[in-house]
Amino acid sequence: MEEIIIAYGEYNNGKLHPASLEILTPLYDIAERLGKKLVLLLLTEDFERAQSLPELKKALCHYVWIVSAPELKDYRDDLYSEVIIELSKREMPYGVFFPATFQGMSLAPRIAGALQVGLCAHVNDLKLEGDNLLMFRPTYGDNIIASLYSTTIPIMATLSLGAFVIKENPFSPQISKYEMPPEFKWQSKMKIRKSKPLIKEPSRLSVAKIVLAGGMGLKTKENLALLRELAKVLRAEVGVTRPLCHAGWAKEEEMIGVSGVSVRPKLYIGFGISGAIQHTLGMENSEFIIAVNTDKEAPLVKMAHLSLICDAGELIKSLLKQLSRESN
Amino acid sequence: MDKVIVCIKGVPKPGTVKVDPETHTLKRESAELILNPMDRSALEMAMRLKDKYNCEVVVITMGPPNAVPLLREAYSLGADKMILLSDRLFAGSDTLATSRVLARAISNLKPFSLVLMGLKSIDGETAQVPPETASLLGLPSVTNVKQISVEGEKVIVVRETDYSEEEIEVDLPAVLSVTPYLDYYRPPSFKRMLEARKLDPLILSAQDLALPEELLGLKGSPTQVHSVFEKKIMERGEIWEGSPEELAKRLIDLLKEKEIFKN
Ligand SMILES: Cc1cc2nc3c(=O)[nH]c(=O)nc-3n(C[C@H](O)[C@H](O)[C@H](O)COP(=O)(O)OP(=O)(O)OC[C@H]3O[C@@H](n4cnc5c(N)ncnc54)[C@H](O)[C@@H]3O)c2cc1C
Repeated sequence: MEEIIIAYGEYNNGKLHPASLEILTPLYDIAERLGKKLVLLLLTEDFERAQSLPELKKALCHYVWIVSAPELKDYRDDLYSEVIIELSKREMPYGVFFPATFQGMSLAPRIAGALQVGLCAHVNDLKLEGDNLLMFRPTYGDNIIASLYSTTIPIMATLSLGAFVIKENPFSPQISKYEMPPEFKWQSKMKIRKSKPLIKEPSRLSVAKIVLAGGMGLKTKENLALLRELAKVLRAEVGVTRPLCHAGWAKEEEMIGVSGVSVRPKLYIGFGISGAIQHTLGMENSEFIIAVNTDKEAPLVKMAHLSLICDAGELIKSLLKQLSRESN
Repeated sequence: MDKVIVCIKGVPKPGTVKVDPETHTLKRESAELILNPMDRSALEMAMRLKDKYNCEVVVITMGPPNAVPLLREAYSLGADKMILLSDRLFAGSDTLATSRVLARAISNLKPFSLVLMGLKSIDGETAQVPPETASLLGLPSVTNVKQISVEGEKVIVVRETDYSEEEIEVDLPAVLSVTPYLDYYRPPSFKRMLEARKLDPLILSAQDLALPEELLGLKGSPTQVHSVFEKKIMERGEIWEGSPEELAKRLIDLLKEKEIFKN
């Protein structure tokens, strides 16, 4: 009982989502310390293809379990969650963890509801204190972190994207097919009629070397457009804070922080960003941090290696002007 | 399509929030509540369905009595019935305990076709309540829905995932969480606004919902706070002041030195 920990391996169209490998890093350590086995769980319609994924050979886990059935071809929330619920009832895992992807965030609550267990969100650190697994996330108040625990088993959480660095396994995990009981009903109340791939580049934010991040201090959408131009010149990726997403200026994929992605570039420059903890937890591991802000007292100014006290929009304009002069 | 239920949430108005220094939870009773902005989408979608299918729209919120104005706001947008789930026993609920209350209240409104909610709330950002409530009701859930239409006993929705935009056929009843980005939001009707002032919501307590105390509130929440602490900021920075032109020049020199910009 409670001998395994399950990590959800999000597998789509022949690819494993890298965030599924990220969450293995802290979970493997916890499994080792508790003497449990970490299982990476994949759901697919094509066992052979999934099994031969090169990433799996280096995945930091003890076992890879693959549930395979033709009905799993498309991601259907009800059926996918039912598989994991059934599997959890049979295997009694100590924990079931998900990356905070679209799938993870829609599956985990269905499973937690059915199993009547707790589910933590925005977890960006995990620690064992004795036998107690503590999950860390920011909470209300200035720069306040809360550690949480769950009174129910399996312990469940969705882990922030990019919060953990992928580590390779020196050994290969054992890969096997997981057979669902014969009485399992492969039924769903959903049918995918059409699927149109989003024409967007996969976000490179989490692996970017240089990140230019924009906040409310940019003041206008035009300034954000200029920041994007500057990013092109510097071959950087653009990130934003949450209010810019809410304003509809940027997509959520570009949001840096606990509810978005974590970044760890060589250089991070924050333009007009105050430095709320929900944001800084997603960028504090950057090698060199520069803050551009009119307010010397802003938390990001305090934590930055270097701060430029001036108007963010004007600075971007000057940078663009001077850089274009240089390249001509 | 006869009945659509919309779950909305009051969130503290930014700037008015007081945080309990001991527990670091929000003091919801003292805060001025506004409608969670993302729930506007759920209400707008419900009204579009009402326009098209002439269905009844019931709006539910779980919260303290100061959430009543939000229900009236929903009424002024076109909701037909207002229900407030309010009880001291609900305070401190995590997403599971909240979903239990919502699921029970929704279940009592059977038969219904759809339950709509915003994608997430801006104070919690977990996005858990819609799928969790659906799961407790034994219903399918679809998240981040952009479009809804009805074909017989099925609802056709368009959702955006991390990979694609999908058109999905879902059996009714179903729980949908709606994208925060719609192209249009109708303004409230002045006439209904005046009407709403004189209307009170139906108020339901834990007892009315026949929910046992041990499943509710802080006590009924399996996620518990172990401790809270302040993360110290390391002050390490150098500060540059000057005109944007000067600072831009110094920054470019620094970037060159760090070999980030080469010409
Ligand atoms: C549950 C929850 C989850 C959240 N998750 C995230 C998350 O993942 N990511 C995230 O980013 N946020 C998140 N937030 C929001 C977060 O708490 C902050 O509100 C947000 O990060 C602030 O964004 P900002 O710094 O752009 O805006 P503000 O806090 O408004 O800061 C603007 C800054 O710009 C400066 N400024 C003003 N004018 C100028 C100018 N002309 N030039 C230069 N500087 C100027 C100001 O001095 C200020 O420091 C979350 C909040 C909650 C409650």
